[in-house]
Amino acid sequence: MSRKKQCIAMLLAGGQGSRLGILTANMAKPAIPYGGKYRIIDFPLSNCTNSGIDVVGVLTQYQPLELNAYIGSGSPWDLDLAHGGVYVLPPYVKGKQGEWYTGTANAIYQNIAFIEQFNPDYVLILSGDHIYKMDYNAMLRYHIDKEADVTIAVREVPWEEAPRFGIMNTDANNVIVEFEEKPQKPKNNKASMGVYMFTWDKLRKYLAEDAGDPKSSNDFGKNIIPNMLGDRQKLFAFDFDGYWKDVGTVESLWEANMDLLNMPMPIDLYDKKWRIYGRNPGVAPHYVAEGAVVRSSLITEGCEVYGRVEHSVLFAGVQVMQGASVVDSVVMPNAVIERGAQVCRAIVAEGAVIGAGSRVGEETGNIAVIGQNVKLAAGSAVLAGEQRDQ
Amino acid sequence: MAMKNVMGIIYTGEKDSFLRELTLARAIAAMPVAGRYRVIDFLVSGLVNSGVKNVGVIMQKNYHSLMDHLGSGKEWDLHGKNDGLYILPPFLTRENVGVYNGSLDALHSNFGYLRRSRQEYVLLCNSTIVFNANFEEMFEAHNRSGVDVTIMYTRNPDMRRPEYGTYFEIGADGLITDVEIDPTRPRYENTCMEVFLLRKDLLMDLVDRGAAHGYHDMQRDVFQRLIRDAGMRVGGYEYKDVCYRMDSVQSYFKFNLDVIDPKIRHALFREDNPVYTKVRDELPARYLENAKVVHSIVADGCIVDGTVENCVLFRGVKIASGAKVKNCVIMQDSQIEEGVQLENCILDKQAIIKRDGRLIGPNAYPIVISKDMTI
Repeated sequence: MSRKKQCIAMLLAGGQGSRLGILTANMAKPAIPYGGKYRIIDFPLSNCTNSGIDVVGVLTQYQPLELNAYIGSGSPWDLDLAHGGVYVLPPYVKGKQGEWYTGTANAIYQNIAFIEQFNPDYVLILSGDHIYKMDYNAMLRYHIDKEADVTIAVREVPWEEAPRFGIMNTDANNVIVEFEEKPQKPKNNKASMGVYMFTWDKLRKYLAEDAGDPKSSNDFGKNIIPNMLGDRQKLFAFDFDGYWKDVGTVESLWEANMDLLNMPMPIDLYDKKWRIYGRNPGVAPHYVAEGAVVRSSLITEGCEVYGRVEHSVLFAGVQVMQGASVVDSVVMPNAVIERGAQVCRAIVAEGAVIGAGSRVGEETGNIAVIGQNVKLAAGSAVLAGEQRDQ
Repeated sequence: MAMKNVMGIIYTGEKDSFLRELTLARAIAAMPVAGRYRVIDFLVSGLVNSGVKNVGVIMQKNYHSLMDHLGSGKEWDLHGKNDGLYILPPFLTRENVGVYNGSLDALHSNFGYLRRSRQEYVLLCNSTIVFNANFEEMFEAHNRSGVDVTIMYTRNPDMRRPEYGTYFEIGADGLITDVEIDPTRPRYENTCMEVFLLRKDLLMDLVDRGAAHGYHDMQRDVFQRLIRDAGMRVGGYEYKDVCYRMDSVQSYFKFNLDVIDPKIRHALFREDNPVYTKVRDELPARYLENAKVVHSIVADGCIVDGTVENCVLFRGVKIASGAKVKNCVIMQDSQIEEGVQLENCILDKQAIIKRDGRLIGPNAYPIVISKDMTI
């Protein structure tokens, strides 16, 4: 019998993130590289470890290999523990039949046995889709203080964007009275962040009922939360006003990277009290050659810059050859920008090679994307908004 | 896989007075180098990359920073249940006064560790030479030749020093025929790399007999005597790649600035033989609007808004706008404020050079600013 944990986290990492196009062809969205040396999943995992939550179940389904290898034993986040730590939980065969996770709630339902091993009072449900720093422990104290059944983290969004979100309508005491998924005419601008703190007994009961309903789509937003509201359970909103960025589209992923080039940064990643941890590439410091120009950029270890880099984010091991230029762009690990190539307003994925003299992206218009390991022939032209996967 | 049968022992008790203030608070093995490493990282990584699973590090004095750096050995995958990393500080017993008079003393004190280890061979190394070797080939050569001891050497002329170092005469059959230690003018071009490979039982026998005769030093008292008097077969194995000796402020300075050169850097940091070190979770280096950096290596966590030429910037260094630094080695978390001019300087960790300060050292001898100093 294992020792009790007050609160454990379950991280939904099975989403495809199809709006990211060719960037998620071979990896799940939480594995997407961000900010020069992170992946999206580093944020919820680091938030957990910084909040003192030391059991994290990561639910995987879509293209899990990259994510599994990245998480490994969990040591970069101090989650390689004898009692607790990080667990990767893919769907598995039970009895005579196996089934895929049919929805977010179903993924948790299928792992009730995992959760019960830790005998928790509270279960935190997270997603691997956002860049943010949040103290889940403060949320837990609020949840306990309010004697809530579920507490949902909310963030105010601009009114014109509210129709894209799940909106929580609350009373003066922050009690959630109504939930509207992507409302045409929003009554409120408090968007659900997809971060739920449940009292485990309550969640288990609603998961079981939901699993018995053949008409349900087994989803937290569509089924569990509306069912609890309908039963007049105690639902509270927990206000969050820090940086919170969905990186669900090519444009928003690019923007989130560009955000880091502003000083002060809108999300302070220099904060030593709330570090964001990640797996380290373990390469030598980067090199800037004679004749190179680097300005207003983030450059990671292992890079070699002979050309010009401005207002861009370079991940580990990127090479920018002589006469090449990289402007307003994100270049992921080990990509090579050959001689004279010009990259502007683009995302170049891991291991891609931009042939000599090529032009990728344009000064205006949508972001161009070059997929993982794509070898672009010398002299190629890739227009704004174009995506190349070969 | 054969290398599983070899254990590594690294002796870090070398004389360090030539490095002056840089080694006041740390052993040479713990000296920060190349922007994010410590001297010992190269040797430990080389051993691990060769397949060695059991590495003992003998500590002598000032070993706090070395212990802190190596930790559990996790960064080198040396934290397994069997074998792994063993930190061997001096300790007091009836026979042992705590401070080692030499490498033989140290091995004698750690006889228990040698006995308990499962490996049949020992790679015995010192810690003041930076090189990135794969020791598998040396092990094969040792087995092929059937010698009792194999010693690594180099013919790199930059490794020879007056009154310092061990030099070999090597016969056509590859056997070492003469040894000179600390000659005023080295007569042989083969410089000892201070890596010795031999069977563990032979090593234990040599250490036991050496200690019984009141000897202290492995090189002078054991290996040299063996070759000269005892007729033991000692072979040489030539190391042909890049290597640097950390034995003076100048050689430390030269090594760091040489690493900026892509040819030397690529020879030292090879994809097939990565160098591991303790991780610090830092953001990538940030270049601001006024940054002008050429021919330099820059580690993560730096923030640069000034002019940097031919420099090594360690993690978390800040260079303010209007500052100019040239030919400098600037260690972790140091800060260079606005308008400062630095040339030919070594700044130890967390040094601060206040606004408009000016320090210009001569080419031949860099100015050294100690740890935590504010100027």
